[in-house]
Amino acid sequence: MALTNDDVLGIADYARIALEGDELAQMTAYMNDAVAMLEPVLAYNLPDVEPTFHPIGDLSNVMRVDAVAPERDLARETALANAASAKGDSFRVPSILGEGEA
Amino acid sequence: MKELSEVLEDWEAVIGLEIHTELTALDTKMFCNCKLTHDDEPNTHVCPVCLGLPGALPVPNRRAIESIVKAGIATNCEIQKHSMFYRKHYFYPDMAKNFQTTQGPVAFCMHGHLDLEVTGRGAAERPACAFGEAEAESLASASAGAVGLSADLSRRADSQPAGAGDACGATGADASAGATALAGLSAYDTAAGAGPVRHEDGSYTVPIRILRIHMEEDAAKMVHVGGEEGRIGGAAESLIDYNRCGTPLIELVTEPDLRTPEEARLFMEKLRRIFVTLGISDCSMEKGSMRCDGNVSLRRRGERTLGTKTELKNLNSFKALHDGLAYEICRQAEVLEEGGEIYQETRHWEPSRKRTVVMRTKETADDYRFFPDPDLAPFDLTDEFIAHCAAEIPELPDAKRDRFERDFGIKRADAEQLAGDPALAAFFEAAAAGLSGKAAQTVANLIVNELMGYLNAAGADVTLETCGIAPAQVASLAGLLAEDAISSNQGHEVFLLMAQMGDDPAKIVDERGMRQVSDTAALQPIVDAVLARCTDQAQQYRDGNQKVIGFLVGQCMRESRGQGNPKLFNELLRASLS
Amino acid sequence: MARSFDELTAQEIAAGIAAGTFSAAEVTAAALDAIAARETEVQAFLQVTPELAQEAAARIDAARAAGEALPPLAGVPLAVKDNMNLVGTRTTCASRMLETYESPYTATCVARMLAAGCIPVGKANMDEFAFGSSTDSSAFHPTNNPWDTARVPGGSSGGSAAAVAAGMVPLSLGSDTGGSIRQPAALCGVVGMKPTYGAVSRYGVVAFGSSLDQVGPFGRTVADVALAMDALVSGGRDPYDSTAQDVVPGFAAAAASAEDLAGTRIGLVPAFMEAEGLTAEVRTGVERAASALEAAGAELVEVDLPHVDAAIAAYYVIGPAEAFSNLARFDGIRYGYQEPGCTNLADQSARSRAHGFGAEAKRRQMLGAYLLSSGVYDQYYYAAQKARTLITEDYSAAFARVDAILMPATPHAAFRHGEISDPTQMYLSDMYTISLNIAGNGGISVPVGLGADSGLPMAAQLVAPAFADERLITYAAVIERALGRAAGGSVLGVAPAFAGKGGELR
Repeated sequence: MALTNDDVLGIADYARIALEGDELAQMTAYMNDAVAMLEPVLAYNLPDVEPTFHPIGDLSNVMRVDAVAPERDLARETALANAASAKGDSFRVPSILGEGEA
Repeated sequence: MKELSEVLEDWEAVIGLEIHTELTALDTKMFCNCKLTHDDEPNTHVCPVCLGLPGALPVPNRRAIESIVKAGIATNCEIQKHSMFYRKHYFYPDMAKNFQTTQGPVAFCMHGHLDLEVTGRGAAERPACAFGEAEAESLASASAGAVGLSADLSRRADSQPAGAGDACGATGADASAGATALAGLSAYDTAAGAGPVRHEDGSYTVPIRILRIHMEEDAAKMVHVGGEEGRIGGAAESLIDYNRCGTPLIELVTEPDLRTPEEARLFMEKLRRIFVTLGISDCSMEKGSMRCDGNVSLRRRGERTLGTKTELKNLNSFKALHDGLAYEICRQAEVLEEGGEIYQETRHWEPSRKRTVVMRTKETADDYRFFPDPDLAPFDLTDEFIAHCAAEIPELPDAKRDRFERDFGIKRADAEQLAGDPALAAFFEAAAAGLSGKAAQTVANLIVNELMGYLNAAGADVTLETCGIAPAQVASLAGLLAEDAISSNQGHEVFLLMAQMGDDPAKIVDERGMRQVSDTAALQPIVDAVLARCTDQAQQYRDGNQKVIGFLVGQCMRESRGQGNPKLFNELLRASLS
Repeated sequence: MARSFDELTAQEIAAGIAAGTFSAAEVTAAALDAIAARETEVQAFLQVTPELAQEAAARIDAARAAGEALPPLAGVPLAVKDNMNLVGTRTTCASRMLETYESPYTATCVARMLAAGCIPVGKANMDEFAFGSSTDSSAFHPTNNPWDTARVPGGSSGGSAAAVAAGMVPLSLGSDTGGSIRQPAALCGVVGMKPTYGAVSRYGVVAFGSSLDQVGPFGRTVADVALAMDALVSGGRDPYDSTAQDVVPGFAAAAASAEDLAGTRIGLVPAFMEAEGLTAEVRTGVERAASALEAAGAELVEVDLPHVDAAIAAYYVIGPAEAFSNLARFDGIRYGYQEPGCTNLADQSARSRAHGFGAEAKRRQMLGAYLLSSGVYDQYYYAAQKARTLITEDYSAAFARVDAILMPATPHAAFRHGEISDPTQMYLSDMYTISLNIAGNGGISVPVGLGADSGLPMAAQLVAPAFADERLITYAAVIERALGRAAGGSVLGVAPAFAGKGGELR
């Protein structure tokens, strides 16, 4: 089943990527090409093979000591320096529900 | 709307809880070395990891893992050796990475239970019809539909088409752990199968099953500016403080085994006592370090199909938990009885207006696009690790309650109350050392009534540790009461003086001449004088009015300036009047 | 007497500074001069950092003046890929999204190279967020292949490879998610190594595919790459990367021990050598490398990797899924491009991401978001991770019979800018490199001379079992020695058009 423009729009909405103009049609074409290219992988959904999520052999139980490391802390100015909108000591975002919209 | 008791005669409420607890006892966050704080200036405890900066990577806090394993052992869960962290995606700026690191189908702790003892007025919330065989069926049918509690994970697990081992939608490691969990499932399923049995005094015990406890991280705090009461609706902008982002959080999910708001409240209280005893969290509902969401649906008594549930938020005190659920049950009953429909939605409890309001409607299930976090190695907990955690678990409240009841011979209710607070329990044990029976009960009474009353009245600044009252003082005061050296009224007075001045009770009693006179020879003349004066009352007694004896004792006490032993006065009066 | 510093290896520079033949400041000045003279045509850098370089050089010279022992790479100019954080530089990932992003901390791999004495001269160009095989998807400018500036340097670490090939630096760092070190190394005629996943810390390197990404070095000689590897692994496993593991720094020793290969078995995969799309000149180059190994005493053995065909499909499931997740954080709030004038949050995020990311970054994230969605995930993601298990087992089975496998690094020589425009066709450039990112074991791309047809650099790729990366160095050094100029061979130095251009060292 090929992905439709509506399907792709739904994914774009979820992924917070606004598709403008021709982008939607191009993206839909790409997505269908890519998914077709991936088809061979479906043959590997084999019941007797365990998936490998981490290519790290037997490495497990990696944990750290519960100790403060102040040298890793960022100064607040540094933390806020890369933010396009900051207000006082905090990061700022516009209205979440959109009531602010005229 | 109808009263809760009336509603519950006709309707069965099916309640499940999701309880989030911040591991406030730790020094650092879940995946980075930032200090855990509650009230510091915004964005002062942040680093590349908890700010989700490009290139940062998580490393799990060992003590957080130990804490959740302890929580699992203490709630009778099976500890899963094999599990993984997953990423749960949603675009919201309180999660710096736009995903939350949490656990997948297999959590560190699966399939536990706690037994609730429901007594007194709370027990009356469950109507008589909700016991015995019918209830066993109710539990079985409710849990069959219980997957909704962690819908996304279950759906993901269910839809994985491969073999049974993969039914957990997990790695080989996760899958085999899932198989273990499944093997234990029948015992878990029957744990609640018998249903509760009501005792003669109306109390009952009911097992509440715990589906899972998983490890995750808390979100940042957001302040919504420009809206009403700091609410999100109408806000022009929001400010974000990432200090809390990444705080270790454990989420416990119950099966929908709860049937009354009181059971929900008791479960939460019981869990809080366990976590406080484990020393993993301060469990402050007020500060938000322990938070509870409730899922509730109704069905007609005898019906087996589950109704549509709503999710309740902002249940941020034990009272709110009870009252919010009670309101929601009554609201749903009203809607259903009027032929209306319950919508699957999230509702917000407004304690000031005593109502729940819709926050958002869930038309479709959220798709969080869970997948195993590639940045975090899987867990394969060793027997040694689990044994080490188990060894660090102190005596838990239930065991302590049973021991207090057994060894000290005190009332079960008092034992329960004392055992629930580690500091209070230690205080009791020190004060009642070597005592039993009546003497130990006197100590328990002093702690439960006098000491706790005093601490409550003194406010948040005064705690058991800082109040300056020593167990030895309480023991000494109990001794004075036991040997009738002072009356119980005097006991209260002495306690307050002791708390204020820090003196030994014996010294207070002696210095103030409060010691009770229990010498018959000294008291008989007072009795004679009172009877000579109160001839009317004496006659009333002889005519059969037993109650008037209290008045006469009071007169004797007054005559003796409060120092006569009231029990002895009582005896002497009765003897003189017979 | 005057000569360009590009004639010197990293090893020779460090030795010269330690001996007092020249100072770190002089080498740094020469490197900056070479960059000034060559960069207009190559465009390998997104940012050149003279102040940081001069400060680092001054520290090295002061340490030497104070009689302190110098670290092994003291005074060696280094370029780092622009997805690696370094305080004092922007980390842009060649994206508008991060155009003004100032690194708030330094990546472990960069910190270790600096601790080993390297001089940071700049941040190298790349495909945007490392999505690509040409470096053409950089939001700022393409990079040109120093062997033919009409052609791409490969990617995604194209700037790092081109900077070394053009003689602007002797060493650089890249990252490899599907071939992003080995493919540009092959196309630019330099040595490029992707160590085993977990050998080098990923902390501070902007993630693309977390289970695939690995950092590694570029150099013009195997010995230089070995020195960089020792620097990257010294200090043990990085406690800030949960997937990092301990590796003993024995790479320089492995380079020096390249002598007799008697008793060594080298695998060749017939299916790879006969694959559709493999050019004759690449095949000849790989055969030349095989002969060199055989001449040194190694036995050539045919091995089979039956499931490796699934690697590309598995990769384009796992990679985009992880990329979607890793790039979700770029919402324009804490950092990154923020669309001005938006009145609600969802709108601001969607427009910031739409305008901050380039086309390929959006494509990969969209594909990933689709592949992780309910119902789709179960079919594709599981299948891909199961294919990963089978590919890993294929390598294990092969390595039970051989010590290493020799194969092409790329199917063809460097292509022209714009020559491959279809994104799914571009994905096939990684057909020989991708399976190692799936399985996790290491590989090295080593030059084998110029192609007879194209006149462009050719390379062979060696593949070893997980955490046997020092073998790669040993065998690559054997190939280099056999085919090198010292032996009358054709193995490459600085691209001729740039050799000696600026960068004079007195």
